[in-house]
Amino acid sequence: MHFYKLLILVLAVAVSSARAELPDYQAFTAQGTHLLLWVSSERGRAEPEVQAAQKLATQGVEVWSLDPLYAYFLPQLSRSMDAISQQDMADWLRSALASGKRVSVLAVSRAAVPVLRAAALLEPAQRRQIGVVLMYPNLYTVAEPLAAPDYLDLGPLKGLRVRILQPRRSAATPWLPGLVEHLKVYGATVESVVLENVREGYWARETPTEFEIAEGRRMDGLLLREMKALGQK
Amino acid sequence: MTKLVVTLALALFLMPGAYAAGFEAREPALAPILNARDLSGTSRSLADYRGKVVLLNFWASWCPPCLREMPSMERLRVKMAGRPLEIVALASAEGPNDVKAFLSKMKLGFPILLDTDGSNTKRWKVFALPTSFLLDVKGRVRYVLTGPTEWDEGEALKIIESMLEEPSDQPK
Repeated sequence: MHFYKLLILVLAVAVSSARAELPDYQAFTAQGTHLLLWVSSERGRAEPEVQAAQKLATQGVEVWSLDPLYAYFLPQLSRSMDAISQQDMADWLRSALASGKRVSVLAVSRAAVPVLRAAALLEPAQRRQIGVVLMYPNLYTVAEPLAAPDYLDLGPLKGLRVRILQPRRSAATPWLPGLVEHLKVYGATVESVVLENVREGYWARETPTEFEIAEGRRMDGLLLREMKALGQK
Repeated sequence: MTKLVVTLALALFLMPGAYAAGFEAREPALAPILNARDLSGTSRSLADYRGKVVLLNFWASWCPPCLREMPSMERLRVKMAGRPLEIVALASAEGPNDVKAFLSKMKLGFPILLDTDGSNTKRWKVFALPTSFLLDVKGRVRYVLTGPTEWDEGEALKIIESMLEEPSDQPK
């Protein structure tokens, strides 16, 4: 049974990769010189993300919002992100660069995987033009109790500027230094910031704290600061 | 059409067993060092619980699934009173103020330890909360559970009972 599942998967991926295409995304157009590619997590695009994108657009930052698992009709599992076409994503990044705007990318949780792998497919000169914000990235291959963490292969990231935003209230926070080192191994320039008093996906929690609600409403400001820190603003 | 084929194939491939819940039996192996302080500031280690079966639970006050299973741990403590079982809850990478604020709302009779700098969390390689370890009387890890459970019933209770019945001088 496992053999047939694998066969179907291989065939499907082969058919898919035979013709690269841009993923379907939602654009929040703006006249300014900055473009933010916002890639939602495996939990999908939440309403506060749409509101933040709208606010950014009113401040001159165009936003292309991509919900990858919805765009590719994939199950809402973190591992589904690993199956997103890297070629499609790389073409999407090139298309953003072709706009002539300064391009930043925000990837949430496991969405960091297709984004980083796509960045690895870019020419080094293109990679240097992009700034990436990773919100609590999940790059594990295996994370079993009592065993050292193992991270995914990503490909060359030399020249890529990365900032990691890590909520303090996350099981991943103690592991942040190892994650930073892993990205550096691939050549990325990495800085990290811990977001105090919030949890992963704080803008879309079922039972958010008052502080998380307030921070969720201020995401546009957070991202403007991050784009500036990346040298993109 | 292509996307539909990919979707169906991936759903088939990814879904079964992707999140198989339950206890994971481990080959008995000596537990990592536990070096933490309780809420009174007293230093604690596994040596304090030698000769007992230990349920070591990594949790955080901001973690809803952790809080959901806490009442069942307290019920287990009451149910097992007088028997050689110690329940120890280690607050992962969290300061005393948040933990004390939580404990003011939920009364728990088992020891709560602090891992403010996350060093125990890293030593035990805990990547998700809650994560629990069941240690036998010789201080060896025997079972691991990632995620919450009802500790005073079902599989959890059965495993704990079986560990309590093991001869202390001749473990499996």
